[in-house]
Formats: sequence, structure tokens, C-alpha cells
Amino acid sequence: MTVLPIWKQALVLLALSAGVSPSAVAAPADGSVKRFVAEDATPGGGKPDAACLVLAVAMAFDADHVYVVDAEDCAVKVFAKNGTFVRAIGRKGRGPGEFSFPSGVSVFGGRLTVADKLNHRLQVLDAAGRHVRSFALPFAPDRVLVLAADRRLVTRNASGRNGPEKMLYLFGGGGELLREELTARSTGDPVVDAFRNMFIVIPGAGGDFFVVWKSQDRSILHYGRDGALVERIPVDGRYAFRPFSLAVRGTRKALEAFCWECAADRGRFYLLPPEDTDDGDLGPGHELFVLDGAGRLEARIELPCRVVRLAVDGDRIYAVDRDSELRIFRIRR
Amino acid sequence: MKKTLPLALAGLVLLSAALYFPTAVSAHDVNECYRDHQVCRERALNMDAPWTKVALALTVCDVALGKCILAVKV
Repeated sequence: MTVLPIWKQALVLLALSAGVSPSAVAAPADGSVKRFVAEDATPGGGKPDAACLVLAVAMAFDADHVYVVDAEDCAVKVFAKNGTFVRAIGRKGRGPGEFSFPSGVSVFGGRLTVADKLNHRLQVLDAAGRHVRSFALPFAPDRVLVLAADRRLVTRNASGRNGPEKMLYLFGGGGELLREELTARSTGDPVVDAFRNMFIVIPGAGGDFFVVWKSQDRSILHYGRDGALVERIPVDGRYAFRPFSLAVRGTRKALEAFCWECAADRGRFYLLPPEDTDDGDLGPGHELFVLDGAGRLEARIELPCRVVRLAVDGDRIYAVDRDSELRIFRIRR
Repeated sequence: MKKTLPLALAGLVLLSAALYFPTAVSAHDVNECYRDHQVCRERALNMDAPWTKVALALTVCDVALGKCILAVKV
């Protein structure tokens, strides 16, 4: 008897699933905040097959390029800042410069560091995509942020099987472990815990970084470059939780969804709250909330479409929409 | 006749179970079950789907893990 791999079974059942309707209530109270609109600046026209994104899971940018990790295509797709495709780096495999479900990317000093999830390693590549070195890891990395030449922050998803687990790991320049932080929340239900333990890391200035939980906590955690928690920034009350009732094995579990995706730029945070989908589920939103460094709500930016990933650079927003297309928006202030 | 029917039903159940679960010889070892489970969870968590669908995918991963371990131990 042929047995499909577990992930294929999951996808088959997922495809068979019809819309379940959890209750999602919304509505941050508005108050007097500025409202902006972001207009689409994505270049039109055809593009080569290699430019197509199958499952865009992470993005980063530097002065000239935007880097998008395509986990299914096992590659990092490089685009110019105007959206023009430049090249794809990597292919599926276990050798140098090859990836197995890459899940994170960071750019520092002209080099790319890629979280090569299922190969349990980080790979450092030069600007042309040539392999420079690899760091083996004792776990499957999720995201990576290079904070300084001698500081790499790596996140992992909690397995839910090994008791209290850490989810942030700080490594030194030689790959030595310097610090572990952020203990996974545990209720004993692996599905609920998976949601409670979803978080986003975003780079800050001077090697600092921020952590934003996707649910259950309405604050932004500020960590220093040494991996120690500096402060907990409370988020403005006008940016509200979205209560969500999750159906898990016949019972309903209450979750408070907070943030789908976020970015930081020039001392401001850009939080994307989840929104109801057409079939009553909870999906990515299409409005960005701009917070100042103290967590106060400054503005709201309406995007032309729902997005799942984003990065902000001045008045430009680089995003991946729900069809895994790279989109470029210009903020009209 | 009264005894035949339960016996036939029991046989049917055993046959179904034997067909449903892969045999111990062809099954992976438990470590492979956990490796597959990890891949399954990571894909579910990275698929950016609405939450109910992700929850469903995670549940399927857990069910498949149980099935895989059971198959190894049968």
C-alpha cells in the first residue's frame, strides 16, 4: 500500500476542507489618527518563470535589491527595488548553495544568510549567490536575522513535544551559541500551542531586534544585540485584539489574534492586523497600523490588497500578496 | 448463524485495519515518523493560510503522526 507523506496528506485534507466558520469579531476603535493610502507601484508586464513565487515565506532588502525566500522552489528570488526580477539563487538539495525548505533570509554586509530549514543549517552566500560557508544547527531554523558581523539570531518553531522550549537563539560569529530566549507557551494542546507560539522577529537599529507575538500579547518586545530583553512596549489600545474561536478536535478554543505580519522602519512599527476572510475564517488584512517607537498609533495605511509578508523602506512597501506575487506599494501621505 | 455474523464482522474489521495501516516491515522507524511530522508542521505553519485551515492541517499532522507510530508498533 502506498502511503503519502504526512505533509501531502495534510494538503489533501486541507483541499477537501470546506469553510468552517469560527467567530471573529473585529474593530479597533479609531480615534483621530492619520489615514493614508498606498498605491500600487508594481511593474506590469510578463516575467520569466524563475521569477514566479510558489510559497514566499520571508523577505529582506538592502540598498539595491529585495530578496524573497521561496520555500517550495527552494530558492531565494532576487528583485531590483523597482520589482524587476534579477535572478534566483539556489536549488533543492543538501549541498552547498542548495536548500531544503528555506524559511528565512537576512542581508548584512553584502552577504545573504539563509535559514535552510530542513537541512538544519544556516548558509551564508555572497551577493552573486555563491556559497561562502554553512553553520550546522541542532534544530530546524525558522527565521534568521544577522544583527552584527558576530551576531546571528535564529528562531525556531516550538515542537510542542519537548517540554518548555526556547524559540530564540543567538549565535556568535563562529557559530557558538551565546544565548537562548523566549520560552514557548504550553497548554498541552499542540495545535492551540502552535498558534500561541507564532511570533515575528524584526530587526531594529544598532543590532537590536523586536519580537511581536501573533496572538495573546499586545506588546512589542524589544531585545538588545546581546539577546537580553530591554523593554516591553505596550501597543496603543486603539489597535485591538481580534477574538477568534478556533475549532480543534471538536472543541472550541478562544484565541486573541493580534498581528499577522509586521515590519519596522526608521523607528516606526508597521503592524498588519488579521481580518475576517470571506468564508468566516481569519486571514491577513489589508490595512497597516503605524505605531511610533513607544507603541502609540500614528496612522493607518490602506493597502490595495491583502498581503501576507511585508517590508517597509521609507515610503515604499514591499509585500507578498495571497497569490504569492511580489507587490510594491507607494505610500501617498 | 448467530455466531457467524459477529465472526464475519470481526474478520472484516481486522482485514480493514490490516489494509489501512502499513505493515511493520514496510513502515518507517519512529524517528522517521517524527521527522515527517516536523516537516508536516513546518509546512502547515508556513503556508500563510487562514487560521482554521492551518489548525486543520496541524491536526492532520498530529493524526498522521499517531498513525505512523502505530504502524511501526503493530
